[in-house]
This record gives sequence, C-alpha cells and structure tokens, in this order.
Amino acid sequence: MDSQTPADAPSFVAWSGGVAELCNVVERLLPVAAALGAADPMPHPWHGALFGKLRPQVSREPLLVAAVCGGTNTGKSLITNTLVGAAISRSVPEAARTVHPVASLARGVAERVDLAELFPGFQPVPWRSDADALDLGAGDVLVWREDPGGTQPPRLVMLDTPDIDGTLRENWHRAELVRHAADVIVAVLTQQKYNDAAVRDFFAQAATAGKTVMVVFNMVDWPRQRERIAGWLGTFTTETGVAPAAVYAVPHDFAAAESGTIVIHPLPELTPDGGSMGLAERLSAGDFDRIKWRAMEGAMRVVIDPATGLSSWLDGIDRAAAGWRDAQHLLEREGRVRVELPAAPRQLVWDEVWRWLEPRRSGIDLMVSAGYRAVGQGVSWMARRVGLARSSAERQEDFAHAELEALKRALADFIDRLDGACRLDARLAAQLGPRLAAADRAAWYADLERRHASLPLVSDGYRSFVRNELDRFAETNPGMVKAVLTGLTVGSVVRPVMTLALFSAGAAAMPAAAGVLHHVLDFGVTVAAPLAGEGAVAVAAQGIRPLIERLFAGWTADRGRILAETLHDVVLGGGVDEIATLASSSSRPEMIRARQLLVELSRESA
Amino acid sequence: MTTHRDTDAVPTFAHELDAASFDLLVENLDRWVRSAPAWPPARGVQAEWDGVRPRLEAARHDLARVLVVGVVGGTGTGKSTLVNALAGGEVTAAGDVARPTTINPVVVAARDVDVSWLPLDAMGARLVRSDSPAVATIVLVDCPDPDTQDLPGHPVVDTSRPSGGNRNRDLLEAVLPACDVLLLASTAQKYRSWIVAREVAAFAPGRPLLFVQTHASRDPDIRADWRKELESQGFDVPRIFRVDGVDAAERAASGLEPDAGFRDLVAAINDELVGRAARRVRRTGAVDLAAWFTRQAREACGGFQPAVAALSVGVTSETRRLEGILAKAIRETLHGNRAAWQRLIGDDVVARWHGGPFAAFLHVTSALASLWSRIRPTGGLVGRLLAGQSVTAAAREAGWHAVEELGLPSGEIEQTRSVLSGLAVRAGMTEPLVGRSRLSVDRAEAATATVVDRAGRWLATGIDQLVAQRRRHVGQPIVHWTFEALFSGLVITVLGRAGWNFFYGNLWEGRPVSGIGFLEEAIVWVILWGFALRWAVFALVRRGLDRDIRGLVDSLAASRVVEPLIADFAAAAESAGSWMGEGDRLGSEAERLAADGDRSALGRLRRAASEAGRFNTASA
Repeated sequence: MDSQTPADAPSFVAWSGGVAELCNVVERLLPVAAALGAADPMPHPWHGALFGKLRPQVSREPLLVAAVCGGTNTGKSLITNTLVGAAISRSVPEAARTVHPVASLARGVAERVDLAELFPGFQPVPWRSDADALDLGAGDVLVWREDPGGTQPPRLVMLDTPDIDGTLRENWHRAELVRHAADVIVAVLTQQKYNDAAVRDFFAQAATAGKTVMVVFNMVDWPRQRERIAGWLGTFTTETGVAPAAVYAVPHDFAAAESGTIVIHPLPELTPDGGSMGLAERLSAGDFDRIKWRAMEGAMRVVIDPATGLSSWLDGIDRAAAGWRDAQHLLEREGRVRVELPAAPRQLVWDEVWRWLEPRRSGIDLMVSAGYRAVGQGVSWMARRVGLARSSAERQEDFAHAELEALKRALADFIDRLDGACRLDARLAAQLGPRLAAADRAAWYADLERRHASLPLVSDGYRSFVRNELDRFAETNPGMVKAVLTGLTVGSVVRPVMTLALFSAGAAAMPAAAGVLHHVLDFGVTVAAPLAGEGAVAVAAQGIRPLIERLFAGWTADRGRILAETLHDVVLGGGVDEIATLASSSSRPEMIRARQLLVELSRESA
Repeated sequence: MTTHRDTDAVPTFAHELDAASFDLLVENLDRWVRSAPAWPPARGVQAEWDGVRPRLEAARHDLARVLVVGVVGGTGTGKSTLVNALAGGEVTAAGDVARPTTINPVVVAARDVDVSWLPLDAMGARLVRSDSPAVATIVLVDCPDPDTQDLPGHPVVDTSRPSGGNRNRDLLEAVLPACDVLLLASTAQKYRSWIVAREVAAFAPGRPLLFVQTHASRDPDIRADWRKELESQGFDVPRIFRVDGVDAAERAASGLEPDAGFRDLVAAINDELVGRAARRVRRTGAVDLAAWFTRQAREACGGFQPAVAALSVGVTSETRRLEGILAKAIRETLHGNRAAWQRLIGDDVVARWHGGPFAAFLHVTSALASLWSRIRPTGGLVGRLLAGQSVTAAAREAGWHAVEELGLPSGEIEQTRSVLSGLAVRAGMTEPLVGRSRLSVDRAEAATATVVDRAGRWLATGIDQLVAQRRRHVGQPIVHWTFEALFSGLVITVLGRAGWNFFYGNLWEGRPVSGIGFLEEAIVWVILWGFALRWAVFALVRRGLDRDIRGLVDSLAASRVVEPLIADFAAAAESAGSWMGEGDRLGSEAERLAADGDRSALGRLRRAASEAGRFNTASA
C-alpha cells in the first residue's frame, strides 16, 4: 500500500468504505462495552487513530495537519507563532497557559472544510485575539484563524497545542486529540524535558501511529550545548522510537523570545537527509501526499494491530461478556429460593371443584349432599362456639397471614442471596449493588403486602384453570369424577413448596405445574416446581393424582406469582434482564461484523 | 520577612507547642484507632494510622536529632547543583549531559553528625561528608527525580529501552519517608509538572516545605504563578526563594560572596531548621501530620455519616414496628383470654376472702372451674402466664416457635432485618459486623431465648401488678362483706322462712310440715343467687380491665423485648456513630493544636486529599 497514494489506489473506495463502516459498528458497540464494563476505548491509540485520523480524512480533501507539541513552558506557542509568521497564540512566561489548541489555516479552508469533523472532539471557534488559547473557559475548544498573509500553503494546517505533562490533565487529553488528527508533529524538547516520562509517552505514541516528527530543541545554550544535542536526541529517539525527519535548535535568548524573533537553526548533522532547509520551508515544501499517506497507513496499522488494536478491544468485550455469563450462572445458582407456603385451606380448591360438579350431579345426590352440608355446618358452628374450631373467614385470615409471612421470609432470603452474590461477583455488585443498597427495602415489603392484599384467595385465572383441568379430566376419565373429591381432601394436606428462580433453568426444574407457569415466564424471575407431594396423595387413585397435583400446584403458582412480580418490578427492575443481555453480547451482529471488517482491512493493508 | 526574625524569641516549649497536649493527642488517637469497629472505612483509617503513628512516635522521641532535608524536584531543575552549592563543593553529579542525572540519592552531612540512624542501604544512598557551614547542622539529601520513570499505570514496561529500568521514582519513595523537611526545587518549565506535584502531595503531609525556584539567571520569575499553583494544590506558601545554583557554586568556588537569593535561602535554613528551631519544625510537622491524619480519617468516614445515621433511625423505626406487631398480638391474646383473667384475678381475690358462706361458695366453684383450664391453657406464653404457669426452660429453648407463639412472626423479623441490612450495606457494613436477614442458628438461639425471657419477665411482672391493682379494687373488706351480706341475706331468708314454717306454721298453727321439698327448692335458689353474685364479682373484676391491659401493653417498649433480634444492627450503628463522634472530637483537638503551631518561611500541605488527592486518583 505504501507504494500507492490514496488517489490512485484502485481499492481506496472500498477501503474508505470499510473504515467508515468500521467506525459505525464500533460506535454502536461503545454503549455495549460501557455497560459490560469493558475497557474504555478512548485512551487507546487505536481509537484516536480510527476516529481522530482515519474517519475525518478518508472522505475529504486531504489536508496536512502539523501540530507543535511539547511539555509545559517549553516555548510551543513561540515556535508556532514563528512558523506561522503571526502571533496566533500568546506566549507568556507562566507555564501551562495554552489550554486550547490554535489552528492556522490557509485562506478559504474554513469554508471548504468542516473543522468539527476534521478535529473530532473539538468545538471550532474562530480566532479573535492571541489570548483566545489562554482563556476560553472549559470545554474542548479549538481556535482557528485563516492566515492573513496568504503565504501558508493551501493544504497545510498548523496547530499550537496545550502541554502534555502539566497539572491540568485536560490539557493532556486535548493534546492527544490533536496528535491523533495530525500528520506531522513538531516535537518541542528542552534539555530539562527530553527524557521526562510524560513527554516520552506522548511522542512514542506519535511514532507508533506513523506520524512524521520534526524535533526542535528549544532554549539551548547556544552554541555551548550544540554538541550535547546529539546525546539528548539519541536518548529521545531510543526511548520513543521516533525517527525525526529533521532536527532543529533554538538558542535560549530571553530578549528574542520577548520580541518574537527567535532563530530556528537547522542541524543538518542530525537530519537524515543532511539538508539544512528551514523548518517552515520544510513544512511548506513537504511531500504532502507521502507524509499524509504514511500517517494514514500508520493509523491503520495501529487500528489493526492484533495485540493493541481494535481487535484487542473486541477481545476485551468477549472476555467481559464471558465474565457476565459467569455472573449470570452465579446468580442463577444463588438466586433460587425455596418458598414453603402454608397448606391451602382445603375448602378453597374444594369449593372450586364443587362449583364445577354442581351442574353435573343428580337431584338425589345433590339433596343428600345438601343435607350433609347442613349437618356439617351445624357441627362446625358448635365447634366454633366452644372454641374448638375457627370459622371459615378466620381460617382464611389465618392462612393469609401465614402466607404473607412465608412470602416475606422468601423475599428476605432472596435479598440475602442477592447481597451474597454481589459480594462474590464484582459485576453483579456493579449491576445490582447500587439498586440493592440505595433502595428503601421497606418499600419492597410494602409492595409485597399490597400485592398480597389485592390478590383474591381464588383468582379468576385460577378459577378458569381449574375448570379447564377438570373438563379435560372428565373427558378422558368420565367414571372418576367422584374420586376427585376424595383425592382433594387427602391432597390438601400437602404442604405446597415452590422454587423461585432467576432465569429459567430449563424444563427439568418445572415438573407438574409447567402448564400454569407460562404467565410468569415472561419475567427474568420464574416460579418453578411447586408442590412436593412425597406420597401425600398415595391413597388417591393413580389416575387422579396428576390432576390433584396440578390443581394444587396451579394454585400455589398463582400465589407465588406476586412474589415474582415484586422481585421483578420493584427489587430487581430490569437488572436481571440486563444481565442476560450483557451475557449474550459476544454474539451481537456488530461484534461479528467488526471482526470481518478488521480482517478485510488488514488484507488490504498487507 | 519572617526568616530574619529573632530566633531567641521562640525558644520555650510553651511557645512552640504544648508537648503534653500533643502526647495526649497521640495517645488518644492511638486508642481511638484501636477501638475502631470492624467497619471497612475504619479499617482504612487503621491502615493509614499504621503509617502515621511511627512518624508521630519518632517526633515525640527524636526531638533533638538534626533535621533531614530532602531536595526534591523534576529532572533538570538543578537539585544536584543546589546541593553542591549548599555543600560548598561537587558532592553529587550535576549537569546537562544526560537525563536523569542523579540515579542514587546522595546524603550530605557534616563530619561530626551521626547519621547511623539513617537507613542508607534501604535508601540506596551514598554518604558524603561536607564542611560547609550551610550543612553543619542539617542533613541534606539529593533525591532522585520522579519524572523520568515511566508514568504510573504505564501499560507495558519496555525493558529494551533504557528508561524501562529507570526506578527513580521508586527510589525517591524509599528516600522521602526519612526526610523531615522537603526542599522543593523547580523551574519555569517544571513548576506545573503533574508527576512532581503528585509525588510531593503524597509525601507532604506532616513535612514542612521550602520552595525554591532555581535557574534564576535564565528563567523569568515565576514565583507568583507558582504560588497560585501550589495554593490550588492545598499548600500554605509563606515564601518562595529564588536562586541560581550554578552561579552560587561558581561564586563559592571563586571565594565570592553569594548573591542575595542564595544568602536568603542559607539564612532561612539556619533560622528555621537548626537548633531549637529544629525541635519546633519537627513538632509542628508532627502536629500537622496528626491534624492531617484526622482530616483524612474524617473524610474517609464522613461520607458514611448520613448512612450510619439512617441506620440508627432505621433501627429505631423497625424496633417500633416490631413492637407494634408484638403489642397488637399480645393485646389480642390478653383480651381473648378474658376467662383466664377473670379466673386469675378472681382466684386471687377469692383466695384472700375467708370466713363467710359466699367465700366458701366461691372456693368451691373456682376449684371446679380451674380443672378445665389447667388441663389446657391456650395462647402460648401469655396463656401459660395467665394460667399461673411460669416461663420454663423448655419455652426459652423453643426458639422461633416460642417467639411466633408470643405474636411475632419470623417473617416480620426477617423483613425488619432485611430492611436494616439494606441500610447497613449503604453504611458499608456487612458480615460479620452485622448478620443477614435470617439469623444464624446460634445467634437465633441466643436471641430468641432472650426475647422469650424478657417477654416472660415483663409480662409476669405486668400481670402481677395488674392483678394486684385489680385486687385492691375488688378485694377490699367492704366489698367482701357486702357480698357476704347479700349472699347470707338469701341464706338467712331461706333458713328463716323454713324456721317460720316449722315453728309458727306447724307448731303454732298446726299446718302440716312441708317436708324437704322447700329446702331443695331453696338450695337451687341459693346456688343461683351465688352464681349471680359471682358474676357480679367478676363484673367488678372486669371493669376497667381493657384500660389496664392497654397500659400494660404500652409498657412493652421499656422492656426492650425485640431488641435482641436486631442487636447486631443497633450495636453496629451505635459503635460506628460514637466512633466517628470521637474522631470529630479528636480532629478538632488536632486542628486546634495545629493552629497554635508556629510557622515561618516553611510551607505545609494544609488541605486534605480532596484537592491534592486528584494526583492520586488521576493516576489510578
């Protein structure tokens, strides 16, 4: 690719289309990665290369961006002003005063080019005075000015940038954004700063991204330190991997700096081509297309690098998603609560069956039954009077109390388990922890109480469920209808037990009553496997047993549903659904497409 | 100018600092830190104290030792040149040939100063003796720079590069703990360096500082802007010196007088760091450090203060809720056991009524009636107490069952504990400081036994009092004898009528004897009359009973029955709250002492981590 320029490359259109699509896909993945807790891509060089360099420039008039970069108070503004030939950025004795980049453009560029797109992350603001870079307030602002002299080459953009090592870290960030966008970096170094770690880091990344670097040693004790410069430069290039295209020195001259008339000496002995062309001339006369293409190619190399490029970020997403899958499994294991409800008043189910039976019974049968019922009522009235029995209403009230207690115990157990799971897994702690910690738990119990209070002992849903079950049973077993009653009286002593689980654990966990559970399966919280009837209905005929089990299981599931609803609506919110989504992130179409595009682009770049 | 002040004016301890107050403060802080609850924020404070305490102890014991002044600053700021100028000769390599210049720290001390206590090996330092008057009574350390080692959090340390092996910052971090005072050297290019600011912020607490702008002959005067920058980082900056080390070294070599800037610096070192002043500096530094520590501690815990307060409020309101549930249940049981009350009070009253036919009648009836109830007392613990039984060991060991029987369902208790554990999580409290919603088996055993015990004691006392009160109403002799009179009236009437019939009707008027038929009839009437009167006695007993039961139940809160069920939360909130309160008190004390401290040209880090800490957080 380096033998071709973008203009005559036959695959350029496809290549630039690939870059644009890759950007779109990555942008769609950003919120996914953030939700997964995967690494923030912003500080990674590939992100800057892709969004700061490749995207802004694949589809528009190629401009050559040259940025003057360096540490605090090394004289960046002074050198920029000298190169531009005008005081676009004020040079002051205090350090770290240039807080916004200032761009000098050739005439007419601002009209033709959208600067916000050329410099992603910045808000372009037209230049008013040389103090703009010092005090335009917060926010990432880029000040631009068109060259008033008209001498600036039409495709050259010159920038003065904030420092890369000061106490205002926003400045570092802005300098990095400018570095991504730049093709040429003018590295301003001093004898105090050429080996500072922050400075090294900055320029090493410029070298990795294929930027053309010109080195200017400023504040040199000229000519005494001239012979020192080779040593300094040696350290700098070894440390950063920068291969400078040219090297210059600016003598330390306070008066010249004050008057803005510094001299930039070429150092041909350190410049690879041995030329002594001035810095401004070199920038103007540079082989724009070659430099530009080199920067683009360098940027692409950064993006497709398997170890540090975009694919490493995608791997990070995969790893994070795998972590979420583990978290999901943990939650599935931990978030499983056995709820032991009190035995239902047998009358409840019995009454429903009675209602169903009524129209199907003969006159005599009914009369006898009514007689028995009257006698039975008399006996129970007596029993109540002497305190041996409770009335039906009292029994239902007792049941409601006991049931609410059981549900509350289950909810408390569930919350305990969630707390425990959050302690075991940092991801769950991040996803559910804030909700569990910040919420007013008393409100959760109030919600459960409210739902419980408004749930009739026999709901319409359960009523129709019983009818359907009995209808179906009567169709297949016409002779066994009476046995149902016997079975019910025995079956009702079963203590209903159900398991409340986060996520559906598959059919195995949902035996007998699976049919009635469809209405809660829409949630992340499921009610599964009510009824533990070990031998409880053994006396009933085998054929009836499943029916009775289903009738009671259905009733229990109907009761347990309110707990599932409280858990889903109030306690967990969308948290559990969100975890399920995150756990399946690896298989998102964007992930697959991003990897395909990377393969295609690296093939083209090879 | 503070440096030119007469140092003789500040020699006494009283002027410097109240030594006893400081010692007391350190002891109190130590006790306070050790008494911390097992609470994560407190653990952090303890860890911090482990670092601070040895320094405070050292300050208490090594008052007389010479001060160690660490010269710190970015590479190329002329630290070594300045050290050479102060030492009066080339004791450490300086220059512009390579960066970094100083790899290993150089310790400069006068020939007669004992430095055996300095961990030179651990510091990787080289000792150089000097005869210069400027270092006659201080120890000077030329420190490595912090800014040439790869940045903290640097992704990969590339050992193939020379800088990959640069450990200057690590070395610096080994040297600085030994320093009492920091001399921060900077230049126009470096005074806003992030990495230098970060390192200084980490070591400045409790270490007075001298600020020196070097390269005075080359750089513009940046002292005003540097002061602004330092103040924004939380430093007090009384003075910044401006010197040129190269110039000073040259002058010293050629026997010339040093220039004004360098002279000022040397004078300040003599005035502020030598002799009695050294004691003051050490003491002031120590007090500053103590104040710094309390500020850090308060900041670390302060965020949890509202949550801890909310937990306390939660404990109170949940206690009220459980008490409400329990009170309602107990009231219902007490109301529901009217017969038992009646029997209890009635029996008690009757037991004290002796002599008289009505009393005899009551004794007989209650002996018969009590048979049934004693066989089958209902209402759990309350019922048993009303039936005159006591709280048995079996009841205490019945655990949840006994508590539920009392009227406090375990679901409600778990709800309460679940709500409180939410509040506790917000306050940073988890196991083992507080338990879970469901009490562990052994905790539950102890808690329920205490609940049953307390409830039993409270109820037994309450019922006894209530019975005694009722008895006073009903058991008075006038009531007794009124009833006896009423009962005896019928008996006398019946006997009188029988006597009249026999003596007057039969013997006098000669009517036939009516037989015992009349007596049989009369006995029925006497028994019925007896029951009517018995009912009246019990009506008296019952009158006002509801109000008395209400009064009894209202006293539930005072009995602290439900407390054991949530004791862990109450204790955690209480201990964290009072611990923070004590921390506040000690913090104010430390601030007061620090405000009294005498300062001069020495700067200090005044504000806590909120501002200065950005260097630490930014590096994470």
